[in-house]
Amino acid sequence: MTALALTGFLALSAALLAIGIFGILTRRNFILILIAIEIGMNAAILNFVYFAAFSGATSGLTGQSIAVVLVGFAATEVAVGLAIVLALNRLKGTIDVAQATDLKL
Amino acid sequence: MSLEELAFLGLAVIALVTGLAALLVRELVHTIMWIAVFFVDLAAIYFLLEAPFLGVLQLGVYAGAVTVLLLFGIMTTRKRIFSREAVTGIGPAPLALALVTFLFVISAIGEFSQSEQPIRSYDPTYLSANLFGPNGPWLLLLGLIMLASVSGAIYLVREGRE
Repeated sequence: MTALALTGFLALSAALLAIGIFGILTRRNFILILIAIEIGMNAAILNFVYFAAFSGATSGLTGQSIAVVLVGFAATEVAVGLAIVLALNRLKGTIDVAQATDLKL
Repeated sequence: MSLEELAFLGLAVIALVTGLAALLVRELVHTIMWIAVFFVDLAAIYFLLEAPFLGVLQLGVYAGAVTVLLLFGIMTTRKRIFSREAVTGIGPAPLALALVTFLFVISAIGEFSQSEQPIRSYDPTYLSANLFGPNGPWLLLLGLIMLASVSGAIYLVREGRE
């Protein structure tokens, strides 16, 4: 039977979340920001899977179920994000988020 | 060090390196290649954690669909697909905020036991029973949100919208 410590896994997803936040703050290309959000989201999904693997019988299954639903949510989010990218590209001719200032006062 | 620990260490290092590389390389197409490796690596971690159904889902949805969707996004918004991204200076503030987030999350890790625990494996049959039984409302909500977002996405990219 496989046996591992939980703490290493938690450190990995903390680091992935930090990488995602770093990407969101430093990149200006909309697609790169989407990818950074996906990295952060994957860190969250990983946490559900760890606690599912290291917990009791029924709560573990709930953790995996939530992870399945979250993967679906993340895919939906990418689809909507890319629709916004295409609309922004048509309106502005660029996907630099610094150019999307139409709602500024 | 056991074989599982070695596998986890290798997979964790690959995840961190590919995740950072995806955000730091200058060509967007290379970003997509790094992120594909990242998603496959996470699927391997799911298999290591005895969650084969999630691993397959990760391979199909993330490494397959999301990667191709992002690639199409790049293809339709660029004249030349291999054009380089302008490098913006990375100031100290984003680095500091990312570091603070990391330290904040990692400060809570002490609450959990450091010792090795056995990993539970579940039959996917029980997973589907759980998914469609007590967690059925969540699945329904996911379907509704997907429907709404697909309608929204089609509305956004529709031609001739005034």
